[in-house]
Amino acid sequence: MALVTGAAQGVGHETALRLAADGFAVAVNDITDDGRLTQLAERIDGIAVPADISDPVAGPAVVETVASRLGPVQVLVANAAAMAMSPFLEAKPEQWWHQIDVNLSGHFRVIQAVISGMRAKRQGRIVIITSGWGVIGHPNATAYAASKAGLIALTKGLGRELGPDGILTNAIAPSFIDTEQLRVDADDAGITLDEMRQRYRELIPVRQLASAGDIAAAVAFLAGPGSSAVIGQVLQPNGGVTRTSA
Amino acid sequence: MTPAGTEPVAVITGAASGIGRACADVMRRAGWRTAGIDLNASDTGLSLRADVSDRAAVAAVVDQVAERFGRIDLLVSAAGYYEEGIDVADITLAQWDRMLSVILGGTVNCCAAVLPHMLSRGEGTIVAISSELALAGSATDLHYVAAKGAVLGLVKSLAMEVAETSIRVNAVAPGPTDTPLLAPDSLWRKPDYLATLPLGRLVRPDEIAHAVYYLATEGSMYCGEVLSPNAGAVI
Repeated sequence: MALVTGAAQGVGHETALRLAADGFAVAVNDITDDGRLTQLAERIDGIAVPADISDPVAGPAVVETVASRLGPVQVLVANAAAMAMSPFLEAKPEQWWHQIDVNLSGHFRVIQAVISGMRAKRQGRIVIITSGWGVIGHPNATAYAASKAGLIALTKGLGRELGPDGILTNAIAPSFIDTEQLRVDADDAGITLDEMRQRYRELIPVRQLASAGDIAAAVAFLAGPGSSAVIGQVLQPNGGVTRTSA
Repeated sequence: MTPAGTEPVAVITGAASGIGRACADVMRRAGWRTAGIDLNASDTGLSLRADVSDRAAVAAVVDQVAERFGRIDLLVSAAGYYEEGIDVADITLAQWDRMLSVILGGTVNCCAAVLPHMLSRGEGTIVAISSELALAGSATDLHYVAAKGAVLGLVKSLAMEVAETSIRVNAVAPGPTDTPLLAPDSLWRKPDYLATLPLGRLVRPDEIAHAVYYLATEGSMYCGEVLSPNAGAVI
């Protein structure tokens, strides 16, 4: 069975659908359930476990709830994230710590909670959704980028530490994805959604935004039988966004 | 079911053994038509013999594939060989030249031969088999590692060159894989080395083939990516 955090929308939502289609029993988590989480759970015949994973008690408790209802977590997709943009010097400490708490520390605790069940079976997959910004950085997103870079180091450390137990940890670092976040970006920039899409496309060598389905497919690969020798790696389905171009 | 004659077509170099053979097996089981290019006969739908370092010979056999099947959807450039246990000062010019001409030249030749066919349809996938050794270096096989590293530069640049089409160029960089290229007494087969790997074992050829299959079927957002199923050799 699989647990997906941050599944109410976007990549997490699409990932839950994909893993269910691939035969997994899926538990879906997000910070609250405004109806979308339950609706998704019903659609995939899974369960909804809303909780704030940055809460040191509620986060690990999600894993216990899932284990009691569906059995131990075999695949964890660490996808939930918080992001706030601001110039570095204007970033408030609470903004900094909120992003670190959700993205990095929250998943640290959730991962701690799934390990014993995976170790008992000597198999497990941990798929961490990091970000291209955690690889190459981004102006006005230093806290987010730092938290996501921290997840990459976590991926590598866990890959080494848990690999001998048969637990494979890998990460996916997407860049521009066509999700609900684009609407937020467009509103921030004061332009239309289509103008936002076009602006992003021009930054991507393949001139195409990733779909949430593209990222879900990467998760499915890392959760599935074909990736049994992939460990501690960071996949970047980003259309080639790794450098500026002439 | 895809109607007969419309299934996608994979051209696989080095298809007679090891990783190339595993790629041919996985693609065939997934319903693809396969053509193998190798010095030896391969168990593929169209077995063609050619030396990948010979540009004219490669062009000729790739044209045969296109003529027979009408399309080329995937190139897997897996042909190569391996030499280890040679100190850098002892690598002869002949050894250096041959390694570069087969691994780097072979990849270039195959890319050059399939690209016109892919460009004419506006789509296709190239997956070059590099090596985990190219990511982190290695002693006593410098000519092999240099050639495999050069393949990564080729992949990243060609990926950018064709990025605005729907042609994708990526690499798979295997870890030490259980193929005939690793001699029975290879350093990479020794228990002391395997014990350093988080997975504690060699990679299986089919594990490389599945990475190739993923890139070929769901990898449209990868552009110059290096996917490394390496059992934890390079993290």
